[in-house]
Amino acid sequence: MIDSNDPWVPWEPNEKEPWDLLRAAHLVRRAGFAVTFQELDALVAQGYERTVDQLFQLGGREDFEIEMAPIEQTIGSQQDPAALASWWLLRMVGSPCQLLEKITFFWHGHFATSADKVADAKAMLAQNRVLRANALGSFETLLQLISRDVAMLTYLDSTENRKTRPNENYARELMELFCLGPGNYTEGDIKELARCFTGWEVRQNRFQFNKHQHDTGIKSLLGRSGHFSGEEAVRIVLEQPAAATFIAGKLVRFFCTDNELDAELLKPLAGKLRENDFAIAPVLRKILTSRYFWSDRSMGQKVRSPVELAIGMIRTLGLSTNMYELRRRLSALGQLPMFPPNVKGWEGGRTWINAATFVERINLVVQMANEAANQSGHRSIARMLVFSAGGQLSQQIDRLVDHFFAVRPPEATLERLVESFRRQSGGTNEQVKELLVALAAIPEFHLI
Amino acid sequence: MANRRQFIQASFSNAALISLSWQVPSFLVNATRSTTTKNADRILVVIQLSGGNDGLNTVIPYGDDAYYRNRFTLAIDQPAVLKINDYLGLHPALRGFSEMLDLRRLAIVQGVGYPNPNRSHFESMDLWHTAHRIAENRQLGWLGRCLEDHYGLTQELPAIHYGDGKQPLALATRGTPAPSIANLDQFRLNIADRKGFLSGLRQDMSVRRPSDHNPLLGYIHDSAGIALKTSERLENIIETTRELAAYPATRLGRKLAAVSQLMDSGLGTRIYYVTHDGFDTHANQGTTHAALLQELGDAVLAFTNDLDKRGHLERTAIVSFSEFGRRVRENASRGTDHGAAAPLFIAGGDVNSGLLNEHPSLTDLDEGDLKFSIDYRRIYATLLDDWLGIDSESILGGRFPAFDLFS
Repeated sequence: MIDSNDPWVPWEPNEKEPWDLLRAAHLVRRAGFAVTFQELDALVAQGYERTVDQLFQLGGREDFEIEMAPIEQTIGSQQDPAALASWWLLRMVGSPCQLLEKITFFWHGHFATSADKVADAKAMLAQNRVLRANALGSFETLLQLISRDVAMLTYLDSTENRKTRPNENYARELMELFCLGPGNYTEGDIKELARCFTGWEVRQNRFQFNKHQHDTGIKSLLGRSGHFSGEEAVRIVLEQPAAATFIAGKLVRFFCTDNELDAELLKPLAGKLRENDFAIAPVLRKILTSRYFWSDRSMGQKVRSPVELAIGMIRTLGLSTNMYELRRRLSALGQLPMFPPNVKGWEGGRTWINAATFVERINLVVQMANEAANQSGHRSIARMLVFSAGGQLSQQIDRLVDHFFAVRPPEATLERLVESFRRQSGGTNEQVKELLVALAAIPEFHLI
Repeated sequence: MANRRQFIQASFSNAALISLSWQVPSFLVNATRSTTTKNADRILVVIQLSGGNDGLNTVIPYGDDAYYRNRFTLAIDQPAVLKINDYLGLHPALRGFSEMLDLRRLAIVQGVGYPNPNRSHFESMDLWHTAHRIAENRQLGWLGRCLEDHYGLTQELPAIHYGDGKQPLALATRGTPAPSIANLDQFRLNIADRKGFLSGLRQDMSVRRPSDHNPLLGYIHDSAGIALKTSERLENIIETTRELAAYPATRLGRKLAAVSQLMDSGLGTRIYYVTHDGFDTHANQGTTHAALLQELGDAVLAFTNDLDKRGHLERTAIVSFSEFGRRVRENASRGTDHGAAAPLFIAGGDVNSGLLNEHPSLTDLDEGDLKFSIDYRRIYATLLDDWLGIDSESILGGRFPAFDLFS
């Protein structure tokens, strides 16, 4: 039975809401990092269902992984944490499985760990592989692996955990940030959970269980008691009713909206998670194909994150950008992958925008538009944006707006654009470059 | 407040306010609210002297034989000392500070430190940054706590770290990080608005605010307005003050000049943080230390003179601290090793100028180090309670008595 009030029932393209450029662009911005104009046209042509199916296909990336492997090896052997960010940004640009990169990035923000403190590129890479391998799989598996992850335990100062002095850091974050959210456990639960993790240590950069340091006594955790091991304790935390709602909420905030969520809204998703033993793919598919995702409660209700802005531009314009410069700019904008600001990860939403970052965001687009204008041939900026000197100007601008904007700017602003484009000289490439920069200065551009 | 109010009026003319029925933007509401809270327009500038400044060769007890006995090569000769009284004086490189004392704009708090001094740079700096001991929660900086509890999320940047290094722990929050600005160019649009699109857009935006249908859009719209305006103002300020500014061409001088421009730009920033690095003088300290002190004194003098001219001095307190002082006795390399208590400086138009507190004894020592008599958290408490008007107890995790820093 389909409840018409359930926002998570499947959406189908229809006469009023057709599968078109605007909607295809919405999907690829949220479920990945945008695509070129040509690719977007192809997605519109092949239809909605096929496009969604493709998102969840994880095969066909062998060639890409072969290309990335040597870079990964170099970073690991040189122990260069700064290069980790470049490596991941390259993956986002090049990966044929965009949804996988996007959700891996989501988990990186969820299980936030900074290379700045960990200072061990190998451990960061190992963690990243765990995140990617389980990103669409079982959250329970992911959580068990992260609980013994060297980078995570190093980041949270939890490499020592003796039975006489249980380390509460990881236990606290597991409940507060990874699983339940504040208010769903007591300080006593943190102490008991920490006892379950005693004997979990990092020695010579490897996780080990030191049974001599494990507290084998009876613990009473979240209303249950027993001789719980760390693994059992993780499962008990995950069995709390708050857990599924908490994870569903994080997914909805990442994929749908920056706005406050109503607890009632998340119930069907939490149910879906529990039904599937915390498998992520089914619930994510439910989210991305829901009426909610395709309504104005979601479309245009997120601030474009710095990484989405930069990688989206690079992919749309077919750039091969200077990674050093990109890292510097992303740092200034507050989102360098592998370097989250703290254990809570990136807060996102409004915090991306302030008086300093707004100007920096435009300047990032300026730099990329300049790079694009210097490309020639089939990668010239006009070609990439399917812009021709002979075409109808307002129609061509409309196409750009559909590609880049989730919320249409005021018509008066678009008229100004047309006017200033007409006054611009220097050939089509130069004109298109200025046009792109102008688009980035419009507030609506910063929503996705 | 005049600047901010003028700025808001300029951004959104009254005509626009009346003719359009849009909701008052949130930052306007915040601005109104902040005027009603205590000390709403005051600014705190923190200058971190990284490495451990040699307090004893900064504020010099030239009237004490023990100073000359312990500093057998590094001591400053009596005639060269810039005398404050018949016992104490400033290092000759600190002419800037000496002039500020004459202008009644500099408070020198002597003997600042904390119990059980830690001589590790990292550990001691962490203490100064977080105001919490190692066993306690030290993810948050003392200023970060202010941001989290009192200034909140805003388009207007409540705090700025001006410099290209890593963000200091003092500003760390669990929420929005304060931005590190390496260069004023970060506020400058890298485009020439040749065909007037941007100025047109700015005009459109000032008279038309998006409907409330999408609150995020309203937020971005307001930020964009402030950003474009700030960018334009800075452009003008940079153009008009380039010749006027009498700042020394040093790293610290340039940083403080930029801070002054930001204050003038109409941003509502309350806390600025800059660092001045290189004080870890283990060997051949003499000339290095003199150069560092000169850079400090000259830059802060230029800064206070400039702020005075621009009308910001009365609302600004500039505090400079270092993670520790150095040992009383110099080492065998004509340098000094990590020590404990040291003087701390507070400059501004409203300070109790002069020497505050007693100079620590040079003979009654704690393992070869000067004993502290004022806990640095008392200074923080004073800056929070008396200067910024923020209750210090929750931020410092305890009540510390205020100290008479301000007049």
